[in-house]
Amino acid sequence: MRNRVREQRRQRGLSQAELAAALGVSRQTVISVESGRYLPSLPLAFTIARFFDLTVDKMFDPDDEEEAGA
Amino acid sequence: MMTFIPPRLRKPAVYALAGVLFAAAWLVRGGPLWWVSIMAVTGTAAGTVRLYRLGGTDTDEGARAGSRADERQQLIGLRSRALACNLAAVASFIGLTAAIAVRGTWGWPFLVTFLITGYGYLLGLGNYGVAEEGTPDDADTGRPARSPVSS
Repeated sequence: MRNRVREQRRQRGLSQAELAAALGVSRQTVISVESGRYLPSLPLAFTIARFFDLTVDKMFDPDDEEEAGA
Repeated sequence: MMTFIPPRLRKPAVYALAGVLFAAAWLVRGGPLWWVSIMAVTGTAAGTVRLYRLGGTDTDEGARAGSRADERQQLIGLRSRALACNLAAVASFIGLTAAIAVRGTWGWPFLVTFLITGYGYLLGLGNYGVAEEGTPDDADTGRPARSPVSS
């Protein structure tokens, strides 16, 4: 599953540690989510999406390759 | 009780308590091996300090040692404990089977371990599976769903 966490974080000029502190998770978890190795729980997915003012389906896309770039 | 202890001290405190109990057992046992209790206390003190210092590091292990693990880190711990229990169940089954085959009288600890892991598994199913299922909706009971507009 692709996500736009890294892209959104970089757009806002945040470090992984700053984003982790804002979301209330560890820096390692932000790294894992960004790389797609860890799928966050629904509450954390909503927290991430709300932090970036996006909907969950815009933030996480199960079969997105083209849509993310569109 | 644990909520009164600062998070970073919780795991070291449990570790220290377990170590002291282990050392006390050797001391109560007495005999020529009483000095093992001294070694146990020394090892426990060193391990407690190491665990406390680990709890201050910015790593997954540090987060768990410091009792501040987030959902992913808790999941790692949960999977690790599940793997440990699986291994204990398999090892106890092998030990029990071997004891039966050679008519050994040393098989009962394997039987106890196997029964505990099996009972723990069933307890987990009861607590975390069935109890959380809830009651089915009409549509899931096999009965035809009632339409609000049907006569």
